[in-house]
Amino acid sequence: MAAPALPHCVSAVDFEHQTRVDGDRIGSTVKPEIDKLLNDGAARLLARASDNRSLSRELLLPRLTAGVEKYLLKDDPNTPHTDISKFIDELQADDLCLIIACERGDEHAWTDLVERFTPTVRSAARSASKNEDAAEDLAQSIWAELYGLRARKDGMPASKLAYYSGRGSLAGWLRAVVAQLAVDVFRKQSRLVQTEEDTDLERLARVAEGQPIVARIPTPEESVSNRFAQTDMQQALHQSVQELPAEDRLLVKLYYFDNLRLREAGAVLGVHEATASRRLTRIQTDLRKRVTKILVDERGWTQAETERSFAEVAQHLETDLESLLSKEAL
Amino acid sequence: MKQETNNEMDLLLRRLGRRDETTVSNAADDHLDADELSAYTENVLPAAARARYTAHLTECSRCRDLIVQLSSSIGVIAASDMAKVAEPSVWRKFLASLFTPMVLRYAAPALGLIVVAAIGFMIVRRDQSDQHVTQVTNTETQPSSPAVEKPGAALNDSPTKTEPSPDTRVEKQSRGLQADSSPPQNAAPAVKSVDDDASKDAAAQPKPEQQPASANEPPPPKPSAAPTAAESPHTADTEVSKSEVKELRVAGRSAERALQAERRQDKSDFARKAKPADQVSAPATGSVANLQRDGVDLSANTRTVAGRHFRKRGGVWIDTAYDSSKDSVTLTRGSEQYRALVADEPAIKNIADTLEGEIIVVWKDHTYRIR
Repeated sequence: MAAPALPHCVSAVDFEHQTRVDGDRIGSTVKPEIDKLLNDGAARLLARASDNRSLSRELLLPRLTAGVEKYLLKDDPNTPHTDISKFIDELQADDLCLIIACERGDEHAWTDLVERFTPTVRSAARSASKNEDAAEDLAQSIWAELYGLRARKDGMPASKLAYYSGRGSLAGWLRAVVAQLAVDVFRKQSRLVQTEEDTDLERLARVAEGQPIVARIPTPEESVSNRFAQTDMQQALHQSVQELPAEDRLLVKLYYFDNLRLREAGAVLGVHEATASRRLTRIQTDLRKRVTKILVDERGWTQAETERSFAEVAQHLETDLESLLSKEAL
Repeated sequence: MKQETNNEMDLLLRRLGRRDETTVSNAADDHLDADELSAYTENVLPAAARARYTAHLTECSRCRDLIVQLSSSIGVIAASDMAKVAEPSVWRKFLASLFTPMVLRYAAPALGLIVVAAIGFMIVRRDQSDQHVTQVTNTETQPSSPAVEKPGAALNDSPTKTEPSPDTRVEKQSRGLQADSSPPQNAAPAVKSVDDDASKDAAAQPKPEQQPASANEPPPPKPSAAPTAAESPHTADTEVSKSEVKELRVAGRSAERALQAERRQDKSDFARKAKPADQVSAPATGSVANLQRDGVDLSANTRTVAGRHFRKRGGVWIDTAYDSSKDSVTLTRGSEQYRALVADEPAIKNIADTLEGEIIVVWKDHTYRIR
């Protein structure tokens, strides 16, 4: 399959969120002993790759250094050497060699990349787009970014390809690139088309920040929820959620805020649906304890008042939100 | 109680989520890049790094949306990869289909029935073979007479062991049928031979008793004509009296063999144009075969009159000594020529009167065809 021609629709996507893993920034911070670990790891990686694209250790080393720094040393500068060696040995050797070869202008590698991953990019673009035309534009944009930057001859590894560390699969990385690009393109378009709805959204956002609504007459449901919002319980619950461990908080956000199914939330967390369900039950119990503790300790409620308040609020919510809850997919 | 409290918390959290969903958090300064997103989605990050990104995800709906989107696509990809792996194994799929609950529901009882039927059939078959073996064993436990094998020492060795086993008898009969190739040595040639060859091969029929004393008397229609009977008349009588179903079955089989042998014999007879040796042995063979076939009296096609042996073929009584290459004189009963012949040779009249129909008789080197 021939490399796709550079399309004219290369989007002005900003890569401000990308973190380069070419090693330029951190090469000097790596300790000598770690440098040796990386050298040995590079040799092993080239040896176990089924096609190392005739790369040398020197070409591979900056990429490995950047990856180790990003995923290990940033969190723990004294990461055990065994963990570093294990990290390198778990990298996707073939994918990493392919990308580095592409970045260096290897035509064969580029042909392989396009042949192998055109279906992946097309599929990802289709799922991130509203229609076939938009999906095709998106896919072409991806290849244009990769291909166009590859053509640079200033020797600087500024291509998007430089951001692949080899930790995950190349297919997964390409899908993430497509998804990011789709979001960025969408947001760019959204900024260009300002509507009155945005104003409404901004006003609602202020509600969340605690600013009272004076311009609107609340509906009966909102009346209940406003009363609820005024209670100490609502604030205590918000505070309790914020205090949850990150994994638990993420599950609460995915399930209650993003309205995902347990299976989808479990997929994000890398656990089975049943595990996610058990975890959610535990979180609910944990949150109730936390809310009760806050109300008793900080707001001077009695235990009985807390229990009664839980029941009353729940009863109100059940009555008011019955129709809404029935629409939500569980 | 716990379930109720959890339900209350569930409702409270839903309300919290609905209120907060309007707050699109983009506050996070450092969004996850594509490498981090894919590594997080594939769950291949070191624990510390993953925790860091998880903390970011709880606050950043943008990155969370991306992660959710990638996670769902990963699930699709994983499923399609699984399908690709499973697809080539059509054979395995077929085997798996054989063990589906629906198939097993009907196949298992059917298989059980087949097994039961097969076992039952085996048992029935086994019983039958046991019965057969028992019968054979019963007959074999009765000691077979060595006299059959060694006629000379038979009576001296064990006078009581006179009844031969059916198998032995069959064997002897078969041997007798093939007498032309292996002539017994102790048989007395009682047949009046026509020439030297005939007398030499007459030893092939080891039963001098078979030759009737009187020409008017038909041969004794008893199994005593069998070779064993020739060697032990007493045994033959006992055998006839003890003719069991089993023995008849064996006799039937031997009769079949005898018939086949007879057919072969007939062919060779015609091929060799009725050599004297064959002519002598043929009656014996036919006699044995006929006797065996009918059990008691099977001598309807063979007769011995006036010392001449005749076999009936195509409605014509033919002298076993008849040689078709020699000229014959055709006579009609009652004709003048016939009366002249029988006047000279009364024995021929005796033959002609005894045997009805057309007769070919060899008498003093002359062949007569009497109608």
